[in-house]
Amino acid sequence: MKRNSIDGRSFVALATIAALGACLLGSQLALASDSTGSTGKIPRLPNGRPDFSGIWQTLSNADDDLEPHSTRADAPPSAGYVEGGFIPYTPAALEQKQKNFAARGTDDPRLKCWTLGTPRGIYYPEPFEIFQRPEDLTIVFEFGDSVRTIHTNNTLHPVDTDNEFWLGDSRGHWEGDTLVVDVRDFNDETWLSRAGDFHDEALHVVERWKYLNANTIDYKATLDDPNIFSRPWTLEVYLYRHLEKNFQIIENYCYTLPFDKYYPYPKSEQPPQG
Amino acid sequence: MKAKVAVRHALQLAIAIYSLAALPIAASWAQDDGAAASTAAKTGRPRRGGGGIDLETSFPQIASGKWTGKRLADGQPDIAGDWSNPIANHDNTTDPQGGIPGDPTSHRKLGPRSERAPSRVSDPPDGQLPYKPWARAVQQDLETHFFNPIEPQYIEPLDRCAPAGIPKSFYWHGYEIRQYPGKILFLFQSGWRIIYIDDASHHLPANIKLWNGDSRGHWEGNTLVVDVSNLNSKARFGRTAEFTTDRVHVVERYIFSNNGKRYNYVATFTDPTAFTRPFTVTVPARRWTLADPRNGWHFPLKPAHVAAGDHRLIPDYYEFMCIENNGGFGQQLAIGGAPISVSQTH
Repeated sequence: MKRNSIDGRSFVALATIAALGACLLGSQLALASDSTGSTGKIPRLPNGRPDFSGIWQTLSNADDDLEPHSTRADAPPSAGYVEGGFIPYTPAALEQKQKNFAARGTDDPRLKCWTLGTPRGIYYPEPFEIFQRPEDLTIVFEFGDSVRTIHTNNTLHPVDTDNEFWLGDSRGHWEGDTLVVDVRDFNDETWLSRAGDFHDEALHVVERWKYLNANTIDYKATLDDPNIFSRPWTLEVYLYRHLEKNFQIIENYCYTLPFDKYYPYPKSEQPPQG
Repeated sequence: MKAKVAVRHALQLAIAIYSLAALPIAASWAQDDGAAASTAAKTGRPRRGGGGIDLETSFPQIASGKWTGKRLADGQPDIAGDWSNPIANHDNTTDPQGGIPGDPTSHRKLGPRSERAPSRVSDPPDGQLPYKPWARAVQQDLETHFFNPIEPQYIEPLDRCAPAGIPKSFYWHGYEIRQYPGKILFLFQSGWRIIYIDDASHHLPANIKLWNGDSRGHWEGNTLVVDVSNLNSKARFGRTAEFTTDRVHVVERYIFSNNGKRYNYVATFTDPTAFTRPFTVTVPARRWTLADPRNGWHFPLKPAHVAAGDHRLIPDYYEFMCIENNGGFGQQLAIGGAPISVSQTH
């Protein structure tokens, strides 16, 4: 009996421990649930859709090279960001990619500060800001002079399909909490990485934007281009929200640098007298 | 492939070539000639600058006061939409409808000054910029070499695809304002600009210089008041080459009419390095909607594809690219001056 009464106290203690354990387990489950992307408290617009507004940047070095590679002078090592490891180039396209790779120190369009294109702008190592309304998402890239609109107003791609946009024409829709964006009508001017990965005008990209948690987006892009790739393939990077105090994107119209020197008027270091 | 894209941007290209090679520009506006002609017929005024840009010779003052119009959820007056100045392009700052001084291709006889829109400089009252003598000499040198750009600095930076900056962005093509809680985003055809609302605690460090500056704003009734710092001041006010130094401080007041149809941009520039006193620039703006005639300069409307067979015209923002599509600008611009090649960007 006495033992029983002692057991009674133990029972309370055990119950408390069990309850705490359940809480811990519960929170672990919640975390696990977040990391699989199913639920969790994420920012939402008044209409209930996920709100991706904010300043985002990848921590990946996908822009160096999307494929697995050892360390080299211009890129740290990486296990790659392509599902299955490598981009399924056709034999002819692979030859071109290798030429691009060899000439990457001079031929990469980024060296001219030209628009990086889609999806490269997303995993380029410089921040971009998303502004979101129910009818569209506006992506303002810090790098260069690129503004991309993802229309979420149920409109379709333009009937005229030969605009050959640098960023493609982006039309999005929601599948649950995932923003699915169909991007078409590209030109053949942009690269996919500093390693010379490329495409032509037939490129078709399907992006999937999904919150992992309130400050991380799981970004996937499936690229199809029958002239260049033997089958569609998918890359995946995570995007992290900039949380630093007072962080803002700062215009980087770097293409003005070559002629910047012609506009010294006036030199504020030594203001003219008069 | 490139050629196709270039056609889409013929407008910008034409503007650049015009300012360089002094070619007639009107032919480039094939798409918009109809609208321009009908505008001219309606107003009885000759078309100036091409493309039906110059729609008005005067504009109403708008008083600062209460805002009674639509608001966003965060309380900001709702000013989102498509806007453009109805007066003129950036040919001439103090005589906006007077053409480019010394234009060898213009055979237009100017009538009395009072028939044209007033100077964009609303203060001092004489409409002239209160330059110090050295700054006036610099501006005059740049202006007189506009059609004879024997050195690279005589080429207007916008013609090289640089952002139009402040204040020229407000009179170089129509533009869109997108509005969000705490932020206003300007999408100009030559760049973007973010105004941070009610976040006046800081500007960027002063040594950071930007084409569009760093902008902190707040609302006073119908008036958006914006403090602008960090300007690199490389952008010029117009083809007449007015400039400030990068020590300039600008306070902008965007005064909106409560019917949502217009606003006046009233910006005070303080720059004791180049000017004897502060001065004010006033640029009117009117909203463009689907009810307006199509005008590729003010309101570059594109057909949206709403559904099969439904190609309604709705404002459908297409990308604006300049340096990428018109890299030839730089090379063409080097008339008798130092060659500027794309490879220099490396």
